[in-house]
Amino acid sequence: MPSTGPAIVVDKLCKRYGALKAVDNISFTVKAGEVFAFLGPNGAGKTTTAEVIETIRVPTSGTVTVLGMDVTKRKAEVVRRIGVLPQNFSSFDRITVRESLQYYARVFGCRADIDALMDLTNLRGKSAAQFSTLSGGLKQRLGIAVALVCDPEIVFLDEPTTGLDPHARRQVWDVLKGLKGRGKTVFLTTHYMEEAELLADTVAIISNGRIVAIDSPAKLTEEHAEQMRLTLKSIDSAAVALIRNLGFYPVPKGDDDLCVPVKTPDDVRRILEEIQRSGLALGGLDVRKPNLEEVFLKLTAETPAASGQERAA
Amino acid sequence: MTPRIIVANLGVRLKSFYRERSAMFFTFAFPVILVLVFGTIFTKPEHLHLDLAVQDLSSSEGSARLLAALATGDAFKVMAVPVAVDATQYAKEHRLNLLLVIPKNFEALQKQRLTGPHAGVPVSLTYVYDPSSTSVDTKIRLLDGIVASVNQKATGSPVAIALVAASILPERYRFIEFFVPGIIAMAIMTSCLSNALNMHAELHQKGILRKLATTPITRADWLASSIVYQLILSVVSTVAILLVSYFVFDVQLHIGIWLPLILVVEVIAFVGIGMLLTPFAKEAESASAVANAFLFPMMFLSGTFFPVEMMPGFLQAFAKLLPLYYVNEALRASMIFVDDAATLKYAGVTAAFAAVVFVAGTFRTRWDEGT
Repeated sequence: MPSTGPAIVVDKLCKRYGALKAVDNISFTVKAGEVFAFLGPNGAGKTTTAEVIETIRVPTSGTVTVLGMDVTKRKAEVVRRIGVLPQNFSSFDRITVRESLQYYARVFGCRADIDALMDLTNLRGKSAAQFSTLSGGLKQRLGIAVALVCDPEIVFLDEPTTGLDPHARRQVWDVLKGLKGRGKTVFLTTHYMEEAELLADTVAIISNGRIVAIDSPAKLTEEHAEQMRLTLKSIDSAAVALIRNLGFYPVPKGDDDLCVPVKTPDDVRRILEEIQRSGLALGGLDVRKPNLEEVFLKLTAETPAASGQERAA
Repeated sequence: MTPRIIVANLGVRLKSFYRERSAMFFTFAFPVILVLVFGTIFTKPEHLHLDLAVQDLSSSEGSARLLAALATGDAFKVMAVPVAVDATQYAKEHRLNLLLVIPKNFEALQKQRLTGPHAGVPVSLTYVYDPSSTSVDTKIRLLDGIVASVNQKATGSPVAIALVAASILPERYRFIEFFVPGIIAMAIMTSCLSNALNMHAELHQKGILRKLATTPITRADWLASSIVYQLILSVVSTVAILLVSYFVFDVQLHIGIWLPLILVVEVIAFVGIGMLLTPFAKEAESASAVANAFLFPMMFLSGTFFPVEMMPGFLQAFAKLLPLYYVNEALRASMIFVDDAATLKYAGVTAAFAAVVFVAGTFRTRWDEGT
C-alpha cells in the first residue's frame, strides 16, 4: 500500500559511540518517489544515518519515521516495506544467485518474480553461480536484486558502486536508472559526485555528522559553485602554502594533485605564474566548469591550515 | 518464531554444509575415527598377552608340565630363554621385567618333596624382576595365581572356595560400551558449539548480519533454525557412530525413546551456549579459541573418555557443574544400564539447563551491531 506522506522524516537525529558524535542533530525529509542522495566523505556519518533509518542501529536521540512509522517502535513493520543494500553486500558463499533470491523472498514471505529480478539486474546468466564465485560487480547487482526482492516502497543503497571498476559501475547505474523509472523512493549513500549528479533528485551533503547543504543537484551547483575548479597534477606539496598566499584555498586530491576553486581565468593565470616563478614542477593541469564536485569540495573542505599540515607530513 | 523463516534458514544451512565437503567430513568422520581408534585399543583383550620369559634349566617332564600350566589360558605368552646364559644379566640386556628360572634339579626336588628326609619342603622357583616396571606387579600376581592352582592340583585337595561372577549389567559390558555414548555426546557438543560460533563469526565478518538485521528474521527464528539444523547433523552423526560401533566392535546398546529426547535437549543446550558466547567470537580466530576453551575441559572432565570416578574428588565435584557430564550420564543410563529413573534424573538436569540457555540466548544474540 503506497504511502501518500513523505517517505522518510529524520528529526534532530543524534548517534554517539562513546565520546564520538557520529551523527550530530540532523533533520531532513525524503519525498515519496524521489531519489535522495546522501553525500559525504568517508567517516562523515552517511552509513550511520542510513543504518538508523534502516532499523539496524538505535538512535541516541531524535526520531526517524519511515512511511509514517517510528523505526525504533515499529521495526518489524518497517523492515517489510523497505529493501536494503548494505555497504559491502555479502551473502552465503555456497548459495547460488537464484537460491539467494529465493531465500530472501521466503524470509520476507512474498512471491517474488525471481526471473524478472535477475533480468532487471542483468544476472540471468549467473543464476546457478555460487556467491563466492561472483565478481565484485555481480555481487553488488545481486545485492540490489535482493534489496528489491519483495518490491519494497523504499530502497536503500549504501555505496552501491564503491570498489567497482568503471564498467561495472555503469551497469549498476543502469539498474538504478531503471528503479527511478519505476517510481521507487531511493535513498542512495555515496561519495561519488557523478553518481549523485546522474541519479539524484535531491542531494544532502553531510560533513562531520552535520548536514551542510540539501537541495537538487542543479540548485546546489547554482548556489554554491560560483567557482571554476583548477586541478594541478603531480605538484609538490610546497605549492599549498604558495597558492594560499595568493588568497586561494587549495584542497589536496589524490596522492599529489591539488584542487583550487577559482572564479576567473585571470585567477588561473596568477596561480600558474606563481608556480612558474617558484620553479616547482607541474605534471599537468585541468580547468573545469562548476559542478556538484565543486560544491562538495567547498562544503566539506577541511580548514586550510589542517589540510596543509597533513600534506606537508 | 516463524516456521517459514526457519525452513528458509535451514535450507541455506543444509545446502552450504552439503557443498562444503571438508566441513561435512570433519563433522561425521572425526567421531567415527575416535570410535575406531579407541575401540581397537581397548576392546580386543584376546590379543593382549603378557610376555613371560622362562629359563628352563631342567628340561624335564615336570618342567614341561609347569610350562604347559603357565601357557594355559590367555594370560601369558611363554618365551624361552637360552639355558647357557645368566638369567639376571639376560633380563637386563633384553629389558625383561620378569624372568622365571626353573632350576636344573627341578624334577629331583619334586620327587624329594614327596618322600625321604626332605618330604614336605616346597620346591623353590626364582624369578628375576624389574621393580621399576609398571606392569610387573600384574604379571607377578598372575604368576602367583597359576602357581597356587598348580599347588592345589599337585596336593590333590578339593577346591574350597570358588568365585562365581554376576554382572550388575543386563549384558556384557566392555570399555567400548562405556565409550560410545560419550563419543555421541561429545560429537554433538563439538558440532553445536563450533558451528554456532563459527557461523556467527563468519556472518559478522562478511557483513551478512547487517543484511539479516534488515529482514523480518528475529533472534528466536535464528536460534530455532540453528537448533533444527544441529539436530539433523546430530542424528546423522549418532547413527554413523552407532553403526560403526555395531558392525566393527559388535557394540549393542539399548536404543529407545530416551536417545532422541536426550539428543534434543543436548542440542538446545549447546546451541544456546554457543549463542551466548557469540559476543566474544566476532572473528574466525576468536571463534575457534572461544570454542576450544569450552570444548576441551568439557571433553576431558565430563567422563567422555574415562569414568568421572577415576578423577580426584575436587575434579569430580567440578565435573558435576558441566552440562556434558549430565548428557554422558543420561546417555549411559539409558543405553547401557537401561535405568529409566537415572536417565530421567540426568536428562532432566540437562533439559533445565537447555531451557535457561535457550531463553538467555534469544535475548543475547543481537542483530543490532553497536547499539
